Amino acid sequence: MPTEYTNLVTALKALTQGEEPNVKTLPMAENEWNTRPDSDSYGIVALDFEADALHGDNIKVCTAYEGSVDLFSRKKDGDGWVEEIVNTLTAYCDGAWSLNSHMYERENRIFHWEWVFQVEG
Amino acid sequence: MAFTMQTSGMAELTKRLEKLGEKAQGVASLALYEGAGMMADEISKAVHGITTEPFRYGTIENRRKPSPEEKAILENARKGVAKFHKSPDRVDTSIGMQNSGYAELKGKTVPIPLIANAINSGTSFMQKQLFMRRALSKRRAAEAKIEQELEKRLDELSLD
Repeated sequence: MPTEYTNLVTALKALTQGEEPNVKTLPMAENEWNTRPDSDSYGIVALDFEADALHGDNIKVCTAYEGSVDLFSRKKDGDGWVEEIVNTLTAYCDGAWSLNSHMYERENRIFHWEWVFQVEG
Repeated sequence: MAFTMQTSGMAELTKRLEKLGEKAQGVASLALYEGAGMMADEISKAVHGITTEPFRYGTIENRRKPSPEEKAILENARKGVAKFHKSPDRVDTSIGMQNSGYAELKGKTVPIPLIANAINSGTSFMQKQLFMRRALSKRRAAEAKIEQELEKRLDELSLD
């Protein structure tokens, strides 16, 4: 696992909102598989595949990995977690991230954000 | 499901292209067509690699995989190269399923891009399978192909 990615995951799992008496935390699962944290909003972070690599002397000098962060929310504004996640991505991946899609599921009334980021490994 | 492809280090080639004048756009289109075709093939391969399971109702607690019917729709959908958009200094096209129309799924008419989006990005009831992004991560080969084709065709032209 690239260290940059591990740092990002720990930062995302530690996201909090609000003042001391009623602090909200975002349930964030890593490589989620058939489980769902029971909450209004929840997130998934995963490392997907190798995006690109720089080769020299027949070895990989530098590798870039691509991953994604998903946020599911029942609130239209993402319950304030959108900004928090964007700030975390900026802090840990610099400029190497983008909002891949934003969708709405009519049947379940869930909003879905998907960010794609790249980290160096 | 749009994306952009860029090739860099083309300063020399553009100089030569300018000299070639009217013929340049035709050459660029032919080269682009080769590269775009490669990407369309990659997308077809990626669609073929989607894993499926027999249909069941996915729930938020227990997300499902795409059903074989949904995969078959994507496999049969039109994934060609779109009409070329030509302007004086560039040629654009797009590859993907944005214009592939509608399909019949369980007695309903569903837009094919919607199915592709649901499988590619995942939903609250379906696991995500990044077939599109996996295909696009191989765009380096297509870019190299475009440059190679440009070189070849320009050499042929300048011999005239």
